[in-house]
Amino acid sequence: MIAVLGLVVGIVGGLFLEPTVPTGLQPYLPIAVVAALDAVFGGLRAVLDGIFDDKVFVVSFVANVLVAALIVYLGDQLGVGSQLSTGVVVVLGIRIFSNAAAIRRHLFQA
Amino acid sequence: MQPRYDASMSLLTNLMDNSLDEGYAQAAARRPAGAGPRDWRRPGWLLLVGLLAVGLLLATAAAQARARASSTAETRSALVREVQARTTANDTLEKGLERDRAAVAATRRNALRLTSEGKALAARLATLEVVTGASPVIGPALVIHLSDAPSDGNNGADVDPRTGDAADGRLTDRDLQTVVNEVWASGAEAVAVNGQRLTALSAIRSAGDAILVDFRPLSPPYDIVGVGDAGAMRTSFLEGFGGSYLQALRDYGIDYSLSTKHSARLAESSGVMLRYADVPSGTETHK
Repeated sequence: MIAVLGLVVGIVGGLFLEPTVPTGLQPYLPIAVVAALDAVFGGLRAVLDGIFDDKVFVVSFVANVLVAALIVYLGDQLGVGSQLSTGVVVVLGIRIFSNAAAIRRHLFQA
Repeated sequence: MQPRYDASMSLLTNLMDNSLDEGYAQAAARRPAGAGPRDWRRPGWLLLVGLLAVGLLLATAAAQARARASSTAETRSALVREVQARTTANDTLEKGLERDRAAVAATRRNALRLTSEGKALAARLATLEVVTGASPVIGPALVIHLSDAPSDGNNGADVDPRTGDAADGRLTDRDLQTVVNEVWASGAEAVAVNGQRLTALSAIRSAGDAILVDFRPLSPPYDIVGVGDAGAMRTSFLEGFGGSYLQALRDYGIDYSLSTKHSARLAESSGVMLRYADVPSGTETHK
């Protein structure tokens, strides 16, 4: 339950404290969110598969967010930022979808 | 080995098949056999911190998106309010201007009525106002109705003049200029195109596919109204260059019709403004 507690405290804290994101980082926030969602759905599926590992989860979350932001940053510097963010969103979106489908199969056996 | 039939989509297939991070499987494989999966409900500080970060990120993004949306809406509604306020202010000013103009005209009429010299001046003023388009004109009129050639499917009147594609049977600013000039030449005292009164300084031009009169876009069909001796104007127009020009236009499919009206009212030109004024010598100036 400590995990759920952490998530709730994080959300409530974020909503009430409203931390200001530096202007330079703002373009990468949506991509970071998509990457975070990918890690979360992956973790949920791992829980249901019975192979969850907290270290793998945290590392994959942090790495996903950083790599996604880095790719988009690199793309921005090269002038192909929007194309690369599309690529990142497509790849992560497909992963989120298939993980969500696996979770659904676990929960509903369908 | 037979190549996979979906070999060309190996990237997508790989994405679909391996959507779960391989790290989980590797971590499970590293665990001593028989140890069983770790209980994920067991308190783990790492997990707590990780999920705290996830929650913080999601909430921050949500707050950010909400702030952006509300600031956009705020800007928009502020702009709308300003536009409305300025339009209202403009309308008020315009009404005030109309009132002042009427007052000036009345005062002038009264002042000029006093002397015979004034009466002559008033008559001259009235003539000039008609010619320059500063005052409305009522009288018999010659009306020329011009409409673009019907293009495939849609009538010229239905096409947005700004976006419709240029066709052969479309009236140009040159056509309109020629016809208007011929109407003047046949003896009109005042001319208006689609309700826009023409003055000596009016311009008929085109911008894109639209014809502008005094920088206001017109939409087809076009009505050219000339006030004057309607019967004589009609004869003179048809016998002159205007008649043959309209015939030539008809060859391109541009339809025209000529009619006379017993009474037409042309509004004053909106473009007339005071450009020059001085105080006649020998008059006392009011300070």
